[in-house]
Amino acid sequence: MTNSPTDISLVRRPIEQAHGLPNAHYIDPAVFDEERQAVLFDNWAGLGVTADIPDIGDAVPVTFLGMPLLMVRDKLGEVRVFQNTCRHRGMILVEEPRKIEGAIRCPYHSWCYGTDGRLVSTPHVGGPGQNTHAGIDRALLGLIEIRSHIWMDVIFINVSGTAPAFEAANADLLARWAEFDKPLYHGGADSRFQLEVNCNWKLAVENYCESYHLPWVHPGLNSYSRLEDHYHIEAKELYSGQGTLVYRQLKGEDGNVFPDFEGLSDKWDTAAEYITVYPNVLLGVHRDHTFAIVLVPQGPERTVEHIHLYYAQPDTEADLRARNTAQWKEVFAEDVFVVEGMQKGRHGVQFDGGRFSPAMDGPTHLFHDWVAAQLERHRGLPLAAE
Amino acid sequence: MNTLESALLAAHASRDTAALVTLYAQASEQAETADMAGFYLTHAYVFALELNHPQASELRQRLIDAGREEPLPPARAPSR
Repeated sequence: MTNSPTDISLVRRPIEQAHGLPNAHYIDPAVFDEERQAVLFDNWAGLGVTADIPDIGDAVPVTFLGMPLLMVRDKLGEVRVFQNTCRHRGMILVEEPRKIEGAIRCPYHSWCYGTDGRLVSTPHVGGPGQNTHAGIDRALLGLIEIRSHIWMDVIFINVSGTAPAFEAANADLLARWAEFDKPLYHGGADSRFQLEVNCNWKLAVENYCESYHLPWVHPGLNSYSRLEDHYHIEAKELYSGQGTLVYRQLKGEDGNVFPDFEGLSDKWDTAAEYITVYPNVLLGVHRDHTFAIVLVPQGPERTVEHIHLYYAQPDTEADLRARNTAQWKEVFAEDVFVVEGMQKGRHGVQFDGGRFSPAMDGPTHLFHDWVAAQLERHRGLPLAAE
Repeated sequence: MNTLESALLAAHASRDTAALVTLYAQASEQAETADMAGFYLTHAYVFALELNHPQASELRQRLIDAGREEPLPPARAPSR
């Protein structure tokens, strides 16, 4: 295993015997780069939400794992993700969020691209006033488009282009939450916020997946949502998370609540579920709202969490929305010391990846197992689970 | 520096793209050679393209007719 920088042989063992990923997977820049490709670029990773580009011509540049990308709503209303790099001399095309009125014009030599990525003009490429040249085939020089898919308003991208279709890769989860496959209305400016956390992005996933910590870290939930009211969601090699059987709607002073999504089955009267779409998207669904958290890694030990809340109708009460946002912000903020503490703990050179509670940590172990499987594939190792 | 040059520099400085379309089209019409006309017409077209200016198609056709540009390629489907 000369090409394997870390030993992950214990990770994919049965949970009773398994260890978590070694420290290097949280603190080592070389392993971070390896996971960038094997875990994030080779799969369907979350980049942003379509609410970031609601109108035709909206363009938002995003740096994702060091890669300059551009999210665009094209002339036909389709969401696209491009490499934000001119095909001519590699200039960054769009530096700040803005509206593309007609074409994306490179600020360097003014090569122009349509919002669908076509290269539509190459001024003076054949000499002054001559805008074509036999050596420049525009059909081959459109913007590099990154494969994308929209689900639950999240823009997922597969940078490598090698993953199975999103619907195939996530068929089981799409079926599980088919009842929420309907229009989601972003709550607007009061329903989005960011948390910058000093931890590896995977720790945010690991904490999100399990309910074991709830009574200790979120004591406010104890009054109505006890540990035994929660259940594990475990789809090996696909996704994992947790659910609750006692979701209670937020109520205004007059007893008013958010409108429900239409057509939900009785289960959702009191159930809510929280699932990680591997690798980096945390989703939550309830009868009256959903949320999406896109984890954008900034380096081995720093992550920005982009949080967005959605409702069943476009016009919901602003006061109630603000309370809901504040409630979730409080819960997510309560998790910060945990994920940052686990990050610090991984500088303990004799930490061995840690053990899992066989009864309570199943969803978290499944995430480790999946990450290890991606690394085994990438390293060309035999897949331990097969 | 003549009036048109001054106006062009001012339009560049203020990033007035609509004015750049108009002024470069004027410069093209006043040019003394076909190559100079093509040069300025190219600039008028590029800024029209960026702005989705109503004259963009017409300017492009003039460049095509002069052998300086080619028709737009077909639209691209999203990569999913």
